[in-house]
Amino acid sequence: MRLATILSSAARWGRTVLAVGAVSLLSACDYNFWRMDGHQSTIKVEGPVARSQLEVFYVTCWVTLVIFILVGAVLAYASIKFKASTTAEEKAIPPEQGHGNPLIEIGLIGASILALVVIAIPTLKGIWYTYDVPEDRKADTYEVTATGYQWWFKFDYPSEQIAGAGALTTANELVIPAGRPVRVNLRTIDVIHSFWIPKLAGKVDMMPNRANHLWFQADQPGYYWGQCAEFCGDSHAVMRFRVIALGPKDFNDWLSQQTAPARDVAPPRVATQDAPKVQFASLRTFKQNETGHTAKYDISPLDAWKAQQFPEKGESVALIAQGKALFKEKACLSCHEVRGHGYAGISGPSLTHFGSRSTLAGALLENNTEQLHRWIHNPESVKAGNKMAKGYIDNNIKLTTEDEVALVAYLQSLK
Amino acid sequence: MSSHAAAGTIDHHHDPSTSTGIPNKKLIMWTFLASDCMFFGALISTHLIYRLHPAPGSPSPKQIFSLELTSFSTFILLMSSLMMALAVTAIQKGNVKSMRWSLLTTIFFGAIFLGCQVYEFEEFVKLKNVTLTNSMFGTTFYTLTGTHGIHVAVGVFWLILMYVRSFQPHEAGRTFGWFFKNCLHITALVGAVLLSMFAVLGVVHTLHAGGTAGAYFASYLWMIAGFVGCVAVCIGFAQPKALSNFGEANAIDVESMGLYWHFVDIVWIVIFTAVYLIEYL
Amino acid sequence: MDAILKSDLQVKDVATETKSSVFWRPTAQTGLISWLTTVDHKKIGFLYGIFALFFFLVGGFEALLIRLQLMTPNGTVLTAQQYNTMFTMHGTTMIFLAIMPLSAAFFNFIMPLQIGARDVAFPRLNAFSLWTFVAGAIILNLGWFMSAGAPDAGWTGYAPLTSKAYTPDHSVDMWIMGLQLLGVASIAASLNFIVTIINMRAPGMTMMRLPVFTWMTLITAFLIVLSFPFITVALVEIMMDRLFGTSFFEVSGGGMPILWQHLFWVFGHPEVYILILPAMGIISEILPTFSRKPLFGYPIVVFSGASIGFLGFSVWSHHMFTTGMGTVATAAFSLATMAIAVPTGVKIFNWIGTLWGGHISMRTPMMFALGFVWMFMIGGFSGVMHSAAPADAQQQDSYFVIAHFHYVLIGGSMFALLAGIHFWFPLMFGRKIGEFWGKLSFWVIFAGFNITFFPMHFLGLNGMPRRTFTYDGNLGWNSANYIATIGALILGVGIFIYFAVMVYTYFKGEKVGKDVWDARTLEWSLPNPPPEYNYRVIPTVHARDAFWYMKQNQEQIAKEDATHAKEEAAHGGIHMPHQSIYPFVASLGMLIAGIGISVMDNDPTPGFWGKKIGVTMIGGVVMLVGIYFWALEGNGGYHLHPENDGDESNGKKPAKH
Repeated sequence: MRLATILSSAARWGRTVLAVGAVSLLSACDYNFWRMDGHQSTIKVEGPVARSQLEVFYVTCWVTLVIFILVGAVLAYASIKFKASTTAEEKAIPPEQGHGNPLIEIGLIGASILALVVIAIPTLKGIWYTYDVPEDRKADTYEVTATGYQWWFKFDYPSEQIAGAGALTTANELVIPAGRPVRVNLRTIDVIHSFWIPKLAGKVDMMPNRANHLWFQADQPGYYWGQCAEFCGDSHAVMRFRVIALGPKDFNDWLSQQTAPARDVAPPRVATQDAPKVQFASLRTFKQNETGHTAKYDISPLDAWKAQQFPEKGESVALIAQGKALFKEKACLSCHEVRGHGYAGISGPSLTHFGSRSTLAGALLENNTEQLHRWIHNPESVKAGNKMAKGYIDNNIKLTTEDEVALVAYLQSLK
Repeated sequence: MSSHAAAGTIDHHHDPSTSTGIPNKKLIMWTFLASDCMFFGALISTHLIYRLHPAPGSPSPKQIFSLELTSFSTFILLMSSLMMALAVTAIQKGNVKSMRWSLLTTIFFGAIFLGCQVYEFEEFVKLKNVTLTNSMFGTTFYTLTGTHGIHVAVGVFWLILMYVRSFQPHEAGRTFGWFFKNCLHITALVGAVLLSMFAVLGVVHTLHAGGTAGAYFASYLWMIAGFVGCVAVCIGFAQPKALSNFGEANAIDVESMGLYWHFVDIVWIVIFTAVYLIEYL
Repeated sequence: MDAILKSDLQVKDVATETKSSVFWRPTAQTGLISWLTTVDHKKIGFLYGIFALFFFLVGGFEALLIRLQLMTPNGTVLTAQQYNTMFTMHGTTMIFLAIMPLSAAFFNFIMPLQIGARDVAFPRLNAFSLWTFVAGAIILNLGWFMSAGAPDAGWTGYAPLTSKAYTPDHSVDMWIMGLQLLGVASIAASLNFIVTIINMRAPGMTMMRLPVFTWMTLITAFLIVLSFPFITVALVEIMMDRLFGTSFFEVSGGGMPILWQHLFWVFGHPEVYILILPAMGIISEILPTFSRKPLFGYPIVVFSGASIGFLGFSVWSHHMFTTGMGTVATAAFSLATMAIAVPTGVKIFNWIGTLWGGHISMRTPMMFALGFVWMFMIGGFSGVMHSAAPADAQQQDSYFVIAHFHYVLIGGSMFALLAGIHFWFPLMFGRKIGEFWGKLSFWVIFAGFNITFFPMHFLGLNGMPRRTFTYDGNLGWNSANYIATIGALILGVGIFIYFAVMVYTYFKGEKVGKDVWDARTLEWSLPNPPPEYNYRVIPTVHARDAFWYMKQNQEQIAKEDATHAKEEAAHGGIHMPHQSIYPFVASLGMLIAGIGISVMDNDPTPGFWGKKIGVTMIGGVVMLVGIYFWALEGNGGYHLHPENDGDESNGKKPAKH
């Protein structure tokens, strides 16, 4: 019995705790869980494919809302009206034992079918519209190929052929012309991945031995967030990417810059003493799974990306040269391509114009000195199971802080 | 589940103790076969899907199959179904002896089918270079027909068990001595089937390789001797000293097994069509 | 469990059967042996329930770890690999080791009672199913104790992630083998239930007089026997890829990974109906009982259940809308999925019709049942949203899907099972769970559940993908995740209260007499708890809601019973099956073989006695021995002659365990 009393008081106390907890919960965060306007929103869409998918969604919302209100009202009414109010009534002679009403049944079945037809028509339209670029826009379409790797995305531009090197290749940040349909051929080199840019289009999977594709269009120039959406192993959660849509002039400028070979940093005209050793702040310790983005980055990411296209201030020529040499010595070239500097690895992302990207490590980290240093220093701690960390072990790569600093400088010079 | 004493002849088509009149054992077998249908359906689908998307350089089944051999084994399996049906009719009339002979023939034909399949697999692997892993065709073919073969083997084993079961004495005779005799009987039958199969296969291979009569008898002497020994044991144990308690009341068990056996046969017809014959369209 | 009232029975015929037999006929009524050798459907149901509730807590613990990791952006509670293991095991455990066996507990305990039978058609097969289920559960969870770790490729195990190249360790092997054993157990049990329901109904119990729960049991059983073979084949194929180097899903050998998805989902979609139909059956018993009216539109409810089962085989590719199937296939599956919403909706209408005009008494089972109707409605609506393929292109693989299936699985299946426990507790154990605590647990669970999963709809629409161990703080997902975790903790508290109260009541709860709820179906006509033989006299059924009819026509029933009792006694009394150890032995063999295949390595110098082959063969031999002895020992059995009166066990001290 005592236990029951204790439990009763605990229950009373518990109710207070729940109430207090609810209040503190609401005040602890800005309790706006219903807002859907983040970077990967499917509601604040910015392209016709996503818009068409959103419209189909809204139809389903309205239909189900109406049904919910109607059915819910009847259910609530019945639960309240026919509740036995006294124990006597509970045990009273039961009411007339109704068994069913075929007319009501048929009527409700008919109404349900009608509601579903209302959903089905825009659904079918949407399926055909979103499958491939509409006929009248086919001429204007820009084609790219996206290949999923564990855990990054490779992007090829088949219409930009470079003499002696094949199609233009880049990674993790897909730059496209705004206002034009873009058709993406979806491939994968290993397991199933999925290509999802919520603001622009629903996802389509990248499947081995299967030639999938999707199409989308970014109405305006902008900077869009994407993420792999099919579980693909240890670091699936941090396999992300970006889509940057540019106006026609900006896009052409970008193409010229990218198709050019890797940038060489010219030595200064005036001879200097031994190259001043630029001191970078020593690498701090990062917490497990610490974020790789600064807050200011989100303020205007497209501007930040544009600024990224230009050389860093205070480049150290000597350090860059040191880094370039280390890139070869430390076997980075066995996986990574730097076209024009003679480095032609293919199993990792192409780094020819790495400096012009706003993010690195599969769009996980911001492309600044500190994060790049963090990544080169210990890739495994950033992305569990990743192939670069395995490469370090297999090739017995050991880097001193000086090495890392030089490599950072070199990579950041590759605009 | 109270039992009703059987008065006079048993109605083999109606069981009054069940709601539908269908005996429980029959109903569960039918339902299990529906499930097994889905199982083979999935395997056959896999095979057909991959036949529709062959990888470049994959073998051409027409060059690999020996339709004569497979037609022969199909015919044998059909005959075994006939034997099985005879076994069921026999026991439904209470004729245990006739049932035993029909069961033995079913086992015999089943073993021939299995032997043909083993021979076929050996030919494909050794002569046509189609293994389980070196082509998609090999993978799906061996998995599908192999699974069917396992079903046949399980069926043959079950037939052997049913045959030996038909010698089981009444309650009082079920001593430890009887139990060991029982196990020995089964082992001998299994041994007879396996040894005869290997011996025949070996003889065939030797003949193909152009061996001489003397050579092959010598190589397979131990198998033939073993076979004869097993048969001797079987004949010895097949003398019903005491009356067994196997009779018309057990017809339902034989009938259920018959359903399984016929199912395996029908699945083979489907496989034969979808895997072999379809290549010749 | 106080299931056997030996004190008022005369037992005959036991001795003669055991004397000369080579085979051990266990007769223990108490202790470990009695549990390992039981063939009584009630004890077997109880065991299913115990294991299911245990694994439900395990799965819940895994879920709490997931939510704690996701409480804040860049969480550090779990590493990526640990998280991936958690969501894989959470899904696998909840589906196969919690909900399915909990449903099986009710199928076993309640269904034979509802049709007026004394047990299932094949009692030893029933025991075999139970122990094979335990074997499968063991193999699935072995990884926790090994360096390979527990399976971590998702509960859907997509190829080629599950291939040897991408998951070289044994974790996936254990997942495959565990599921295979669970499949064998489920199929065997379902075959048993189908034969029982079709063939062992009491006289007068036509199919259209069956309680809806029994109907749903039948349809679920058909779904299991017809859909599990597909996952069996899929698992065999991936196992062959991993063990023998075949290329079923290996692209370098010409394989197509999408085949795995097709095979898996041809099973997987009927599987979700396997998870929900029993729940719907339970609700269809509780709502009429607590409204004191028959179920509205019984034939339509039954027919809808059958339609859902049948149509369930035609919609599997709605799990694959994003795999690039092409417009025609996508459209076909979209429309088929919408179609299946119709019979589902019909059931909801009929449940409301049952409430209408009744005298509703808000006991704990009714609260859970009403909660079910509301929550399942919401989950059904998000399902309709998914059925529109263009919308699904955004929702698939996001938290929107997670919200959807948790609403139908927790708000649906789990609520119904929790309701069923409260509802049938008095029948099974002779004690009633207190109203206050029951209702408290309901409200805390209800609140916690909704706080956890409602925000996930928005998370999904805001672009958060599923199966991700972390997220950054600048995507607008922080507050929803935080709230969801708080909700999960509340849900955990609610479950704790529910379990604490259930365990307390089992040992010390208020004892009650027969038919506490003034219910409608046959099982309530039995003493609480029922004797081992269930019915002293097989009842004759005159109408749907058979027990209700009996209560209205007591004289007629009493006369019939007296006549039938005389007939049964004349036939030799009640025939009871013998206990048997051989189903357990057969399952043990399968466990050993399963461990051999999935866990053992091939020795460096492989030979016949290599560990892998050796252990597998030992397991195979044990299994064969078990099956052979099972066949040889024969039906056996003995007869009981219960007293004419004295089955009203209230107040009598039940036999000690």
